[in-house]
Amino acid sequence: MRLRKVLRISRWEVSRTAGGLDRRTLGFAILVFVLVAAVAPFAFDGGLYDELYVVGVEDDDGYHEAVERADTLRAVEPSWSAFSSGDIDVLVRDDIHVADDQKGEAAVAELRDAARRYNAGELAEKDPDAAFPVSVEINYVDRDAEPAEPGDTFEPVAEEEDSEDEDADDDDDGVDAPDAEEDVDDGFSLPSGGLGGIIGQGGRSGTPDDIAPPFPFESLILAFAFLVPLNFVVQAYSTSVMNERIGRRGVLMLASPVSRQEIIAGKTVPYFAAALALVAAVAAVVGGGWRSVVAMVPVLLIFLSLTFVGAMFARSYKELTFVTVFVSVVVTSYVFIPAIFTDIDPVAAISPLSIVVRDLQQAASAAPASWYVFSGAPLVFSSAVLFSLGSGVYREEEMFNQRRVPHKAVAAVASWLRRRASVAKVSVFLVPFVFAIQLLVVATLFALPVEVSLPLFFVAAAVVEEVAKSVSVYAGFAHSVFERNDRNAVVLGAISGAGFFVGEKFAHLAQLVGLDTLEIGRAALGVGFDVSPLVLVALFFAPLVLHAVAASLAALGACRGKRGYLVGLVAAVVVHVAYNLTVVGLVA
Amino acid sequence: MRSPRRLRLATRELASLRAEKTVVLALVIQLFIAAFSSFLVVGLVSLYDPGAGEVEFAAAGDTDELLEAAAGQDSWDVSVYEDRETATTTFEGGGADAVLLVERTDDSVDVDVLAPRGDLRTTLIVTAARDLLERLEDAERERLAAELNVDAVPVPEGGASPYHGFTYAVLVPVLMFLPVFISGSIASDSVTEEFERGTLDLLRASPLSDPAIFDGKTAAAVALAPAQAVLWLALLVFNDVPISSPVPLLVLVTGITAVAVGFGAAVALQFRERKQAQFVYSVGVVGFFALTFALPESSANTVAKLAAGSATTATYAHVAGYAVAGVAVYLIARRFGGRKLS
Repeated sequence: MRLRKVLRISRWEVSRTAGGLDRRTLGFAILVFVLVAAVAPFAFDGGLYDELYVVGVEDDDGYHEAVERADTLRAVEPSWSAFSSGDIDVLVRDDIHVADDQKGEAAVAELRDAARRYNAGELAEKDPDAAFPVSVEINYVDRDAEPAEPGDTFEPVAEEEDSEDEDADDDDDGVDAPDAEEDVDDGFSLPSGGLGGIIGQGGRSGTPDDIAPPFPFESLILAFAFLVPLNFVVQAYSTSVMNERIGRRGVLMLASPVSRQEIIAGKTVPYFAAALALVAAVAAVVGGGWRSVVAMVPVLLIFLSLTFVGAMFARSYKELTFVTVFVSVVVTSYVFIPAIFTDIDPVAAISPLSIVVRDLQQAASAAPASWYVFSGAPLVFSSAVLFSLGSGVYREEEMFNQRRVPHKAVAAVASWLRRRASVAKVSVFLVPFVFAIQLLVVATLFALPVEVSLPLFFVAAAVVEEVAKSVSVYAGFAHSVFERNDRNAVVLGAISGAGFFVGEKFAHLAQLVGLDTLEIGRAALGVGFDVSPLVLVALFFAPLVLHAVAASLAALGACRGKRGYLVGLVAAVVVHVAYNLTVVGLVA
Repeated sequence: MRSPRRLRLATRELASLRAEKTVVLALVIQLFIAAFSSFLVVGLVSLYDPGAGEVEFAAAGDTDELLEAAAGQDSWDVSVYEDRETATTTFEGGGADAVLLVERTDDSVDVDVLAPRGDLRTTLIVTAARDLLERLEDAERERLAAELNVDAVPVPEGGASPYHGFTYAVLVPVLMFLPVFISGSIASDSVTEEFERGTLDLLRASPLSDPAIFDGKTAAAVALAPAQAVLWLALLVFNDVPISSPVPLLVLVTGITAVAVGFGAAVALQFRERKQAQFVYSVGVVGFFALTFALPESSANTVAKLAAGSATTATYAHVAGYAVAGVAVYLIARRFGGRKLS
């Protein structure tokens, strides 16, 4: 790749785009921004949950004022008929009646908050100190997981009385489900049961209302600010790539004495730079440091590379729109879900956004260096693979036709194949991908009970791995790179499986960050079991056999066409899952 | 005989969407978002799940009122230890989940909480601690209210169901509005594509009038978002999320879709290139949604109320407003866009 050529193409790209975004466009954007900025103060008043629940209460009842003061509640005339028809969620008569559904439960929880706030407010008028009679300070301490030694525990001198004591809760109205409870009073009207109840701000001292589990809510929202502007860059980038494919415009560039890699790099560099500048600007605004910017680089790369592939595959602008929205949703969930657990669980290390969150919290302990590697490496490798995949169809033969997306994808994979050994190369290429997808699955499943999440994970992992191993063989057969016969299928399958095995071992670097402390993480990586060395050696090589056998099965199907490939794939997945379950059974 | 031709153009648009199977992708996107959101709810709620076991508190100090507040609940167990030291040691040895050190002064109660760091149960423990201390606070307030002659109301017992608020106030609006955004985007793409491929001249040469071309190009996009909304509402109902007023909800979605599609197509006719058109369109639609938050009821809140069954007359007035805005914006865009065509 020649840097000068790349930079020249970049310059063209910039001048074309800058010429396109003329004064009218920018003027319009500025107008909208000004308008939005002007209404922003009002916007924060109109919360999502406003008046979502209806309370029937008399005007002279003590609760009426409490309800009036709560944003999420609306007071109406109490009536039994409205209550039984469902128009009233909570009816305050002599007693408190709650509708027997989820809405009723949510409504009474809101009423509880409203009553608490009302009491505090009334007390504060007489004596400000009396309003908040309890002050709390919470300290988090590291505790060894070691089981307690008998001498370390003491006998309690007293215990609470148990639930026989009915007098203690004579206000009980029948709804008896203690649960998450919180009152975020920061301008948004989030009720206890909503978003604010789920994701607190991690308060450490104050009144009981103020303390919250260590969820980095504000930092997460701010971290989100890094992702949103990227969509604009990605949209422009996808259009630019797509435009090369419309009306055979790209032919001119392809015919010039530059390689297609140089063309792609040249077209991508300006958008990468723009995205980086945006991220830096956001960091400056929301108070992030260089750590946030560094952590976001892999996210930018994966965003651009996925979009590039999407733009190479899409047949029209309309399809491209769907593809970019899809990419944006996938990338957002991939980086956002694990980041929720930044302060709680090592699963957060999957996402670069966790580093950003840590940075924004200005935590005493910045994210460990291993997080950069662990979260960034799969994304960087995946984007390299994606760019390579996309450049596989950046050719005159494939670029301008209107073939369907799966066809293009297979053609792109086939462009990597030269000799039989190439399938091993493809398998290694796809490992970071497989790893990234599996991490996403881990992140989505890990909160479920292990009995549910493990089997689900095994199936998902098997499907992803088997597809990754066999797609190159299928592409090879479909594009006649290899001759279709069973001997070839078995050999190719074995080679592909072996290649995958090698790649997978590299991916086991993951142990670095201690994801293996998580049960499902262990299952994902297949490491961390505490067994004898002999079994370990067997376990180390058993996957090699598994990968080879399963891949050969899928390959045998693949040499019989599309339908055969599906059958072979299912067989391979079944074998894979069976193997996984056996290993877990063996070791556990 | 103009409308059958117009219909044919609209059918062509729909057919191209079908051929590209992009509608499938649109559904996958929504499914992904729904899965993502429900994961958020289910996953995080399970962290708070009271059924996840009893939280053991080791308490020390002036604990009489604390014990009283703690009584009658199964979700925690409070044991009182002789002093700070023994309670803390028990906690460090794993004999308790958290420590509550209570100190009572003349007019206030100070509580120090020790909770384990970096533990999945931390969330559950801290939540239980807060719940318990809120009860203590309520009891204290009740006592002070009697002392100060303040009319306080009894605090009703109620455990929140985080599913409900999140589902109606966040998930349903997202599911209703995302297709709208995409619909407008498609309308804009559909027009810019004609310019980029140079096929608009063929359409102009057809016996269709300019407004008819505009209608034909946009009809599929206008129909798409409400159709997706119907699908989602059906799915939600099927999943035991009752939707109270589906019809006004659809009127609202259709109205906003007409705004987005009319605007998207007009912008595309004005700018003719996808890059600018998409940029202006996205900024404009985001701006539109932001502006609805300046209304007495934000657009998301209107959707939440309609879905949850808390709609007021004002809510229906908003729906009517969106319908009128939809028709108005579409007609203006059609007039303006039609002129750009010829």
